[in-house]
Amino acid sequence: MSAIIENNQLPFSAKFLQFYKDRTLLAILLSLFAVMFIYGIFFTENYLTITNFKAIIRDAALYGIMAIGLTFVTLSGNFFLLSLKETASICGVTFAMGMATGFGSPDLAGNFLVSLLAALAVGVVSGVIQGYFVGMGGNPIVVTLGGAGILYGIGAWWSDNLVINFTRPHDAEWLGTGSFLGLPSITWSFILIAIAAEIVLRHTNFGRKVYLVGANKAAGKATGHENFSMAIIVFTICSVCCAFVAVAFVAQMDSAQSNYFSAEFGSSGDMTILVIATVMVGGNSIMGGYGSTLRTSLGAIFIAMVDNMMVLQGFNSGPRIVGVGLMIVFSIIVFGLFAKGSRAQE
Amino acid sequence: MSTNPILKISKVSRTFGAIQALKEANFEINEGEIMGLVGENGAGKSTLVKIISGFDPGFKGSYQINGKEVKFETPSQAEESGIAIAQQELSLIPNMSVAENIFLTGAKVKKFATLNTLAKMARPYLDEVGLTEVDPTTRINLLSVGEQHLVEVARLISREAKILILDEPTAALGEAESRRILEMVERLAANGKSIIYVSHRLDEIFKITKRITILRDGVSQGIQETKDIDVNKLVEIMLGRELANMFPSKADHISDDPKLEVKELWPDGVLEPVSFSAFKGEILGLSGQLGSGAGEVLASIAGALQSRSGSLTLNGETFLPKSPSHAIKKKIAYCSSDRKKDGLFLGRPIFENLTSPALGAISKYGFNFGSSEDNYSRNLAKEFLIDVKRMHDESGLLSGGNQQKVALGKWLSIKPDVLLVNEPTRGVDVGAKSEIYQRMRELAARGITIIFASTDIQEITYLPDRVITFYRGMMIDEHRLEQIKTPVILKEITDPFNETNL
Repeated sequence: MSAIIENNQLPFSAKFLQFYKDRTLLAILLSLFAVMFIYGIFFTENYLTITNFKAIIRDAALYGIMAIGLTFVTLSGNFFLLSLKETASICGVTFAMGMATGFGSPDLAGNFLVSLLAALAVGVVSGVIQGYFVGMGGNPIVVTLGGAGILYGIGAWWSDNLVINFTRPHDAEWLGTGSFLGLPSITWSFILIAIAAEIVLRHTNFGRKVYLVGANKAAGKATGHENFSMAIIVFTICSVCCAFVAVAFVAQMDSAQSNYFSAEFGSSGDMTILVIATVMVGGNSIMGGYGSTLRTSLGAIFIAMVDNMMVLQGFNSGPRIVGVGLMIVFSIIVFGLFAKGSRAQE
Repeated sequence: MSTNPILKISKVSRTFGAIQALKEANFEINEGEIMGLVGENGAGKSTLVKIISGFDPGFKGSYQINGKEVKFETPSQAEESGIAIAQQELSLIPNMSVAENIFLTGAKVKKFATLNTLAKMARPYLDEVGLTEVDPTTRINLLSVGEQHLVEVARLISREAKILILDEPTAALGEAESRRILEMVERLAANGKSIIYVSHRLDEIFKITKRITILRDGVSQGIQETKDIDVNKLVEIMLGRELANMFPSKADHISDDPKLEVKELWPDGVLEPVSFSAFKGEILGLSGQLGSGAGEVLASIAGALQSRSGSLTLNGETFLPKSPSHAIKKKIAYCSSDRKKDGLFLGRPIFENLTSPALGAISKYGFNFGSSEDNYSRNLAKEFLIDVKRMHDESGLLSGGNQQKVALGKWLSIKPDVLLVNEPTRGVDVGAKSEIYQRMRELAARGITIIFASTDIQEITYLPDRVITFYRGMMIDEHRLEQIKTPVILKEITDPFNETNL
């Protein structure tokens, strides 16, 4: 026991090394950033421009926000919400309906607040219902796959599979295409949500419970933290994040269709896969109890950087989707290797 | 009895890191003999069994079969030499038929065999273990647990095992089923098989064995002829003499101010509703073997196990906890027997474990910026002798003893009125054991009512002020202070109704 040295007696360089020893995964992620960055500077035209970096973060924002929501689900040991794009789809349709028709009452047509609240409410309801079934002991994969079908179906049915258009000028432009202090609104939203999520996870009882329940459901139950309420809350958080992203995306496009988030979303294909990739690339434990939304945010930016570089190098969407797939595989392998060394395996 | 032993082990020792699980063990068994292997928890029984069955090649000492020195690297090598083990957790596949399970490895079976062929092949083995009326095409999960044990043994016999190790085969069984197992053991021995019978149930040991090997603290205490000794003598050899000073002294007297009254509690695993009271500041022990219901009673007081009926009265309030969080609100803390399963968050730091039941106490308006949690967890750690410098380490990195201290210590954070502990020192080394006993006594002296359940006979004799004994789901008797005596309790938890006529 005498070999233990108090942390504050160490010189700065040793402390720095210790910090990264404890955070192997973070270190790997940061090194990859560095490699990407240097490669970008020397081998890619137009890489080192402010416009390009703004574009990277802007790309990262859409799936980053959803991934932050999903991180709560994954950290709490409830695996994944697989109805990500379907939740976004029905919420987007709801928002566009509100903007275009005011849900049947012409007075409300184009009312941003009502449309936004309606979309978020749909997110809350779908999150609560799916969380309820998972909390009751349902398998999250099965429950949310079922939820995915139902949500997408309702959205498509309601909108007759048509594109719902609403014309500019409208009240949601500031969120869709507006910017503030040189950064787009969606980027600001990403930054604020990332900070808020990190504070919640680190410094609130709820955040602590997410980690505890995720680390061991049975012990969580024994200490009075049941997964039932936890599942409902985390699935709701995740669904609301999806709803918000859907609103921002629809506001940008001035239109919505139920399959907006399925094919060719943004630049890298399927939304659900992209968001799950973000959580995985960030190095969060699939089994729960280990990780953070900060990692997820970095994961989002990393994926956006890779994607951006492939765009600048002239790849089209097929190879880029392969790139995202490779990143998932790579991150799972790296995580598996280092998790063994650094965490108790008993 | 002067024949050469078929299996002989001499001067075997085994260390795991700093812990010496076996110091010097000798063991032998003759052909057609039933040898009992007894010892308290942690005496090295399971280590010895693992060595014999080839699971643990890392030991020192000599291992001979038929007079020839052998060295097994894997269990399958041991099996080739005719040594097979039926473990407590059965390795049968529930959805497959009896016959398929028996010939699971496929040895001796043709490439294409129908279920009928297998059934015919299985018949003689099933007859041998006494499953004459069982159809070999039945699925395993339709059989009783006792019958499943017999199938497991039939499988071992089918692979021509000559030496069978039965590790606590009756631990989870009722009376009638246990009897079938014992009958089978005797029949197999008569057919020339050698049987190593490991059990906590001393009545069974006396009933069927010819000789008994007793292990204590990793040392074998010579081989006893069963007919030459009685229960008292056996227990004395098992426990040794010098253990009493590991335990803090008991209370001078028991307060007559009932703190917790348990009325008509009736969880699964208990035959009839149970009522008792626990007094302020006492340590009450619930004694019983696995399946006796003692642990179930404890879990249902904590709301971790549903009770069909009944109520608790604590601090003038009468209620029946529906969940652990309900019990926690009423200041009832429950430390379960399996800390890895539901006692600890192994991947999370120690301080998070310590404050996990009392997040409300370390935060303001749901926010927690660390400083109050830091103080809180440090105080808890100091109180339970946990190294304060390791507070940010994952709890999974701690030794068993320290893990148990964290699992137990975390409950002080809710300032409990009643502390329930199931198996307070399972898998814990002697030093930590003693510390935990000391801590429990101090907490009781502070006025906390402690109720613990244990299968460890030393613990149940020396730690509590009062003992309630359980046997197969029934409450048997109660003893106080100096009336708590090992032989009496042993008798009550193994054979209270004189079924074996020792």
